[in-house]
Amino acid sequence: MAPDITFIVLTTITLLAAIMALQAKELIYGAISLAISFIGIAGFFVSLDAPYLAMLQIAVYVGAVVVLILFTIMLVRRDEADKVEHAEGGEGAAGLWIAGLLAVSIAGVAALAGPSLPTSPPPANLPVSQLGPVLAGSYSVPLLILALLLSAALLGALVLAKVER
Amino acid sequence: MPTLVSYLIVSAALLGIGIYGLTVKRNAIRLLFSIELIVNAANLNFVAFTRFMNPPQVSGQVIVFYSIAAAAMEAAVGLALILVAFRLNSTIDVRKLNKLKG
Repeated sequence: MAPDITFIVLTTITLLAAIMALQAKELIYGAISLAISFIGIAGFFVSLDAPYLAMLQIAVYVGAVVVLILFTIMLVRRDEADKVEHAEGGEGAAGLWIAGLLAVSIAGVAALAGPSLPTSPPPANLPVSQLGPVLAGSYSVPLLILALLLSAALLGALVLAKVER
Repeated sequence: MPTLVSYLIVSAALLGIGIYGLTVKRNAIRLLFSIELIVNAANLNFVAFTRFMNPPQVSGQVIVFYSIAAAAMEAAVGLALILVAFRLNSTIDVRKLNKLKG
């Protein structure tokens, strides 16, 4: 299998940006790295023939979530948010071990199951226009519940963040 | 096109980065970053599996649609909680937010 250059570039961008998001000294740079990582994920979605999800990913994550995070960082800022919080040596090593073991074991299971997994996708994927009827047809009740949940969550966030005076 | 396993390995790496952040970081906003990374790893898994299905189906994409909306809600509520915690304690260091500890 010839290595796919697009895949390698996307992987590098996504993982490096994800690491940068956690390790950047300034929280603002971390948020921007997070946005870059999300764009990398959107690239994966495009390469997996899911352009609608890629658009949604960029609109919701990069457009809404990261901007919300940036606003919160600006509101919280008082040198507090910018402080580099390095865990003490033992704690950091333990976290690294836990995360590494988990990731390696999951990747190992995936690699072991590799021979029984499909190696190449079916040539023709469903067109994007197929998503609408499914979403509004067989999944219409979850869609309505999702709308209710969204309004409830946004009202809850408003009530939580309200300043009483 | 890369195989399914390569997508799964990328997703596992992303999950590992998120778990590392959750266990080591002390800033509440960085914990939120980690949660978003983990949710994204799960989304990538869903889309990859549904693309490699034969015959083709869109159910994985529908689930990711819901998941993205749920993650947006979670971010809004989480950031509101962080704001409240900062207002009450003037810190967002999660190791110092231990008033409920007996």
